[in-house]
Amino acid sequence: MDEKLLKKSDISKLFNEVKDEYNFYAPKKVRGNISFELISDAKEIELDYLNSKVPPKDVLFPQKETIFEYHYEGKDVIIDERKDLEDKLLIFGVRPCDAYSFKLLEDFFAFGEFQDDVFLKKRENATIIGIGCNEPRQSCFCTSVGGHPYQKESTDVFLSDLGDYYLVETITEKGKDLVKKLSWLTDAKKGDVEKSKALAKQAEESFTTKFNFDLVTKVLDENFENPVWEEIAESCIGCSSCTFLCPTCTCFDVIDENDEYNHRGRRIRIWDTCQSCLYTLETSGHNPRPEKIQRCRNRIMHKFSYYPSNYDRLGCVGCGRCIVACPVNNELRLIIDKILEIEQKEEGEKANA
Amino acid sequence: MVMIVGLEEENKEIESNMRELARGLLKEKKVDVIIGYKKGTLPMMSQPIIIDKEEDVDKLLWNNTCYVNLAKYLVPRVAKFVDPEKGNLKVGVVAKGCVGRALIHLASENRINLDEITIIGIPCNGVINRQRIEMEIGEKEILEVTASGNNIVVKGKNFEKEFPFDEYMNELCKQCKIRSPPLVSKFPDLHVGACEEYASIVDEFDDIAEFEAKSPEEKWAYIQDALSVCTRCYACREACPMCYCNLCFVDQNKPIWFGKTTDMPDIIVYHLIRAMHMAGRCVACGACSLVCPMGIDLNFINRKLEKIVKQRFDFTSGLDPDTLPPMTDFKMEDAEEFMLEED
Repeated sequence: MDEKLLKKSDISKLFNEVKDEYNFYAPKKVRGNISFELISDAKEIELDYLNSKVPPKDVLFPQKETIFEYHYEGKDVIIDERKDLEDKLLIFGVRPCDAYSFKLLEDFFAFGEFQDDVFLKKRENATIIGIGCNEPRQSCFCTSVGGHPYQKESTDVFLSDLGDYYLVETITEKGKDLVKKLSWLTDAKKGDVEKSKALAKQAEESFTTKFNFDLVTKVLDENFENPVWEEIAESCIGCSSCTFLCPTCTCFDVIDENDEYNHRGRRIRIWDTCQSCLYTLETSGHNPRPEKIQRCRNRIMHKFSYYPSNYDRLGCVGCGRCIVACPVNNELRLIIDKILEIEQKEEGEKANA
Repeated sequence: MVMIVGLEEENKEIESNMRELARGLLKEKKVDVIIGYKKGTLPMMSQPIIIDKEEDVDKLLWNNTCYVNLAKYLVPRVAKFVDPEKGNLKVGVVAKGCVGRALIHLASENRINLDEITIIGIPCNGVINRQRIEMEIGEKEILEVTASGNNIVVKGKNFEKEFPFDEYMNELCKQCKIRSPPLVSKFPDLHVGACEEYASIVDEFDDIAEFEAKSPEEKWAYIQDALSVCTRCYACREACPMCYCNLCFVDQNKPIWFGKTTDMPDIIVYHLIRAMHMAGRCVACGACSLVCPMGIDLNFINRKLEKIVKQRFDFTSGLDPDTLPPMTDFKMEDAEEFMLEED
C-alpha cells in the first residue's frame, strides 16, 4: 500500500530529519494569531488550528521582498543577486484552499512573457504538505469555487487528520522524494483510507455557505455601471484587511530604496492593495479608481470576472478570510447577495412584462 | 420604574428608545438620512447602515457589538451626504458617548457643521473586547454569542463559555466617563435622546500605571512587541474619525516620506507619528483597536496621550465645539519646559 501513517507525536522526528535540507515553514502561534513561520524548534509547530490568519502565500510572496541589493564601486553600480532562491522550502500543514491558491499565484506570476523569476524559483523549490479540513467554518466556501476540503491540487504530500495520527498520501514526485526519506513511517491499512474518505465526505456535507459563481460572473460582466456598487461601497471604510489577508491577491508595488550615504541600496516589492487611495494613481494626478465605489468594485470584478476571462478560473479559493476580517462586516456573502439581486429583479421584471 | 437587570434587557430598552426617536425624526422630516448599526452576519459583529425610510427603522440595532465610530462616515475623502438639488442633507447619527464626542470635536476643527446634524443619543453600556474573547477561545469557531445576566455567552461546536462583561469590555469603555453624548447648549436642537452636561472630567489614569512604571527599555520592548504583527492594512486609520486627511503622511509619495515596508522601523514610524497626530484629538472610542484584523491593542498609546493632554492643558476632546484643541491653539501660559531658559 502506498499510503503511510504519521503519528502526531512523531512530528518532531519528521522536522529533525528534514530541517537541514529544507527551510521548514509550519503554522505557529504569534501573538495569538496562527501564521506560517520558519520553524527552528519542532515545539513551535501548532497542529490544532482551523486556518492561519495570514495565508501561507507570504512564504512564497512575502509582504516585503528584496528583489536585489546593489552597491556602488566608484561610479559603477554592482548588483548583488539573491543567493537564497536556490534554498529548498517545505511548507507543512497547508489547507487545501491555500494550496490551491498557489496555482492561482502561478497563473499570475507566469503570465505570458512576463515570468517572475523570484516567485517561480521559490515555487519550484517548494514542497507543499497539505492537510484536509475536517471542520470547515461557516465562512468557508471552497466547494463553491471548484475546491473541496480534501482537494489535493498543488500539494506534494497530503495528510488526513485521523485523530492521533495522519494518513500520508504521496501526490507528486517531489512528495515521493520526501516520503522516501521518512523510512520509519508505517504502512496504512485499508481502514485508514476508508476513514479519510468518510471524513472528506462528512466535511463536504457540512458547508453552509454556497454560491453559484457561474451566475455571479455573468451578472458582473453585464453590470459594471449598476448603482448596486454604491450600495456595496456604502459601509466600506477603505481599509485593506480583506486584500492583505487574501491568499490570491497579487498586486504589488516596486520601490527603490537608495542609501546614498552608505553607497548602497535595494529594490524591494511590497504588497499593494486596490483599496488604497494610491492604487492606480497616475503621475498626472489622475486616478481611474478615485472613490470607494471603484475600489470595492475592482476587488470583486478582479476575482469573479477578470480572473475567469484571463485565466479561465475564479480568482478566489473560498477560504472566507475576507468574510471574517472585514471590520464593518461588509462581507462577501452580502456583496454576492446584492449582485445576484440584480438578476432576480430583472427576472421579475421580465415575468411581469 | 422597573429595575433593569442584565445586558439583554438593557440593550433592548436602549434599542427601542433609539428606534422611536429615529422613526420620529424621519417622519417629521427633521433628518434626511440616519446612520446607525444593524445586525451583523457573524457573531460579535454589527454593520453600519444608512437609512432614509421609516420602514427601515426596525433594522437599527443596539448591542455591545456596535464598535465602529459612525462619525467616520461624515468625514469621507469625497463628500457624501449631498443631494444635487437639496444641497447638504440633514443627517441623524446614532451616537454613543464617543460618537457624540467625535462629532463635536470634528465641529471644532471645522470638518462638519453641527446645524446639519442630529445626535440620537445612546446611554452606552460599553462594547465587547472582541479580540480578547477570540484569542481566549483560540482555534475554535465561535457560532453564537448571547448575553445572560451580565455575562457574554460564547457558543460553538462542543463548547460554551461565559465571560463577565465587566471584565471583557473594551479597555477604553472600562475607563469611560462620557457614556452619553455631551450636551452642547448652544445647539439645543442638536440632541434627541440621551445626552449629558459634563463639567470637568476627573480621571486618575490608573489603567496605564503599569505601562508607565516600566523603564524606557522595557517600554520600547513592549511597544515593539505589541506592534510587531502589524500588516499596515491601515484599518486603524480608516476607522478613526480623526483620520480624515486627504493624503495621509504615510501615503506621501512625491517623494516618499517614510518607508512602506513591514520592517519594524517603518511600522513604528507609522504608529508613533499617527499617535502624535492624535494628541488632544482622540475621543477614546477604541475603534482603532477593535477593527484591527491582527488584534493589536493601541489603547495604551491613546490613554497615555489623553493623560498628557489632560495634565498639561486640562483638556478633554469632544466636549465643546468652540474650544480649539490644544495642538491647534496657542496660549501665552502654555508650558514650554522644553525651551532653553534665557538667563
